[in-house]
Amino acid sequence: MSRAAPAGTETTTVARRLSDALRRLPEHVVIWVPLLVTAAHIVTFSVWTIWVSFTPSTLMPVSGWVGLRNYNAILSTRNWQTAFDNIFLFGGTFVVLSAAIGLFLAILLDQRIRGENVLRSIFLYPLALSFVVTGTVWSWLLNPGLGVQKFVNVLGWTTFRFDWLLDKDKAIWTIVIAAIWQSAGFAMALFLAGLRSVDGDLLKAAQIDGAGPVRIYRRIIIPSLWPILITVVVIQLQFAITTFDLVRALTGGGPGIATMLPALVVYDFMFQRGHIGRGAAAAVLMLLILLSVLLPYWAWRYVQSRRVANA
Amino acid sequence: MREASVTPSRVLVYATVWLIAAVYLIPFVVVLLNSLRSAEEIAQTSMIGWPKQWAWSNYANAWGQFCIAQTCSGIKPYMLNSALVTIPATIISTLLGAVAGFAISLWRFRGDRWIFGIIAIGIFLPQQMRLLPWTVVLRDMGLTNTLTGLVMIHCIQGMSFTTLFCRNYYTAIPQELIKAARIDGAGFFRTFWRIILPLSPPILIVTAIWQFTHIWNEFLYGVTFTTGQQQPVTAALIALTAAVADIPQYGVQNAAVIIAALPTLLVYLFGGRYFVRGLTAGSVK
Amino acid sequence: MTKMSRRKMLAGTAGVIGAPSIALAQAKPRLTIISQWSAGSDGAAITALGKKFEEKGGTWQHSPVPGFTTDMMNKLRAQIIAGDPPACSQLKGPEIAAWSKIAPTRGLDEIVAAAGYEKAVAPDLAKLHKPEGKWVALPIQIYSTNMLFLSKRAMDMAKAEKAPTTWAEFNALAEKMKAAGVAHPIGNGGTRADDGQKFEAVFAGISPTAYRAAAMNLDDKALKGPETKAAFAQLRKIAGWMDPNTAAQHFSTNLKRFVAGEMGMMLQGGWAQGVLLNAGFKLDDFIIAPGPSDNGKPVFTLNADAFIFWQSKNAELQAGQKLMAELVMDPAIQTAFSQTTGSIPVRTDVDLSGPGWSDGQRLTAKLLKDAVAGNQAVLSLAHNMAQQNGITAGMIDVITEFVKNKDVTPDQAVERLAKAVDTNR
Repeated sequence: MSRAAPAGTETTTVARRLSDALRRLPEHVVIWVPLLVTAAHIVTFSVWTIWVSFTPSTLMPVSGWVGLRNYNAILSTRNWQTAFDNIFLFGGTFVVLSAAIGLFLAILLDQRIRGENVLRSIFLYPLALSFVVTGTVWSWLLNPGLGVQKFVNVLGWTTFRFDWLLDKDKAIWTIVIAAIWQSAGFAMALFLAGLRSVDGDLLKAAQIDGAGPVRIYRRIIIPSLWPILITVVVIQLQFAITTFDLVRALTGGGPGIATMLPALVVYDFMFQRGHIGRGAAAAVLMLLILLSVLLPYWAWRYVQSRRVANA
Repeated sequence: MREASVTPSRVLVYATVWLIAAVYLIPFVVVLLNSLRSAEEIAQTSMIGWPKQWAWSNYANAWGQFCIAQTCSGIKPYMLNSALVTIPATIISTLLGAVAGFAISLWRFRGDRWIFGIIAIGIFLPQQMRLLPWTVVLRDMGLTNTLTGLVMIHCIQGMSFTTLFCRNYYTAIPQELIKAARIDGAGFFRTFWRIILPLSPPILIVTAIWQFTHIWNEFLYGVTFTTGQQQPVTAALIALTAAVADIPQYGVQNAAVIIAALPTLLVYLFGGRYFVRGLTAGSVK
Repeated sequence: MTKMSRRKMLAGTAGVIGAPSIALAQAKPRLTIISQWSAGSDGAAITALGKKFEEKGGTWQHSPVPGFTTDMMNKLRAQIIAGDPPACSQLKGPEIAAWSKIAPTRGLDEIVAAAGYEKAVAPDLAKLHKPEGKWVALPIQIYSTNMLFLSKRAMDMAKAEKAPTTWAEFNALAEKMKAAGVAHPIGNGGTRADDGQKFEAVFAGISPTAYRAAAMNLDDKALKGPETKAAFAQLRKIAGWMDPNTAAQHFSTNLKRFVAGEMGMMLQGGWAQGVLLNAGFKLDDFIIAPGPSDNGKPVFTLNADAFIFWQSKNAELQAGQKLMAELVMDPAIQTAFSQTTGSIPVRTDVDLSGPGWSDGQRLTAKLLKDAVAGNQAVLSLAHNMAQQNGITAGMIDVITEFVKNKDVTPDQAVERLAKAVDTNR
């Protein structure tokens, strides 16, 4: 840490370095204590879960060793197999679409339009409502006999069908719809914050140079959103992976087990079914899936940064 | 950056944005209408529909009358519990996230990438997985069944999100700004206070929105780690549809949902004024 | 419990160690209790019980945990891990035996014997509450999960008078309703428990003996037996008569269509009567009948709520547990409880002829008595009475998928059910 001391202090004595460290103590405390506490809880909780996944824990975590038995048990269930397929279908579609819609909304709102405050709140409000309740409302809206289909049918288009909720192969897309509705607004807010942090002077200069709006967005604004886009994708990815209340209220994992997701399997086995060991195994598998997505990305970033550094 | 005159493209922009807004509002309209229908009316007609008789009493009932166990005080006291957890946890975790994000992205220190990597992983750990370890931690700290314990959990877990938001926002700030401040002899806190904070309102609002809404709507920890009169508002909302031999009280529940969402909606509206462009101008030079 | 009362509890412990046992009898009864009964009629029933407890001089400290049963179990687990379980908590079925292994319970044998309670309870039910032969929990109310609700209007349309008593009659009536223009002869919810309930009503109705062997005793031969397959085949017919729109919906979503005659019959628990009445429908909008039984004798799939008592060294809590146990076994208390929730009393010796009871409740109580006499009272699978939650959930996975996916054949379902039992055992 003391390496962060200003340059040009080769002649410092131990005493000076000590007093320097003391002077900077508050800063170190503020930086390190929260970071270390947070990091420690993540590491210990993960290690604990990995440990539990190898124990015969049922209603309570207990010690013992059962090898891969919990993993075999989880992997052989149709619930997990369905959840495994679904997380890629749901996660992939949801992350891309919600980021795209969020960016689109942010650019629209950035056009100095009136009522921006109200519109921004409209796109954000789904976050404010309890997921358990919005999931229930969506289950009515997407129900062919109650919601959208019935409405269109009553308007006169009687052959209109929108019954994905009941179709075991399409029900997963209803979760995509509800999840986008719930969280695209937050992507919009992040993008908007990013758009608004673009230096106004830079834009003025570009305008004076005669650049049109499309060019300004393509050349100046969107490139500067790169770090925000990363945040959005990461946040939506975590939303996809941890989605739980919404599915429980919207489809209950059904029809049948068609809309099972890993987070549901984890909760189901850990708490509902009294198989804490198997639930922990599902959680570990879930993190492995995540790492299989993140590690290639990190490797790619690493190679990129090396290339930039060498260039 | 463009003048706001009436052109076809601007009409298109307005039409698109309001059309999407209308679609977005549909579920809210359903909740709003149901909040004004009685449970019998909903059961006897349809889950979605126009109120035949405006059941305004749902709101009075939701706010201060319906009973949970022996206590017939509506969601009022539970709103207070939620506020006591949400407000401190939001403020603390947002500020800690801003400081940590700044330290990691601009101030830089040894091991910053590693610790950021670990913290970023934290957002992916499902809540369900953390429930049991937290139970043990709360026991060992003597914070079982306290609101303080909940605040602590939300601060620590929230750090992952707030640090991520702020760090990624701050990486867009040119490193030269910080170097210049350091050469001028500004320390960590001064740089943060004078240079970073004035640039931060949009991301702090976004971060606070995230924290506030998620902690406010959190159910699993709230219901497991508190008891009786300390429970958060989400527990009170669920109570309305849980009875076996009753029809679910959708009317009162939806009224309660709208009341419970008001604080968050106010945060959105109130925070809006800090969403302005060009914050950098002036503070930099 | 707050930190304060925990400290108080420690003080209480010291008191017990120091004082002779006579002091126990003089301690003022106090009860810490958690349940999922927070609002509505469930909440009203337990609140009334609490009032009685206070009338007897006790201090009633009830913490409801709203939400799913799982949420309450999470709460209980957290309290046990914190070394501070409540004196009493709601728990049911085989979970009582499972949970009583992870934390010490309070033995109730003396109190139960003093009340002469054992002979007033159905034997299969009693067994669940005395793991290893000792009473540690007490049931408070019973529901039947296999009642048949018939829409009066749909019956009129089909020109039918009599409720079907066997599955063949049931099928014939459904066909008649369909022909008469009832859009969906079977109306119901589409939740997991709803699907499980249809299966158990069918299975137990076809053969209570096979049901007991397969669903309750997990006998491999019975699980793969012809009755199991016949149950799935009947369930396939029922699924075909249902409105597919009921997917994942609470059954109350469709009450209006049921009463209007768009849906003909519901296989539901006895509680559906209360739900219908609370929704503003009238008793003559529907008919309640026993679930069909192929051998002609009544079959009762039983669901019961209960309280388990956790060991405590605190004299006040011990006195509170004793008082609570006595109240739960009291016929007057069970009467008040059931009259509020729409269930029937656990005690088979309570007289239901009084004005506080409905015909539906009287019918249910009579069915239970007859079913117990004919050894045809079985434990509900869908409501976690027959098996521990892990096995139940594995079996319901198969059943709910079978209901929603027409491509699964009864043969496949039988295979999968046996496999689900195997992997979850």
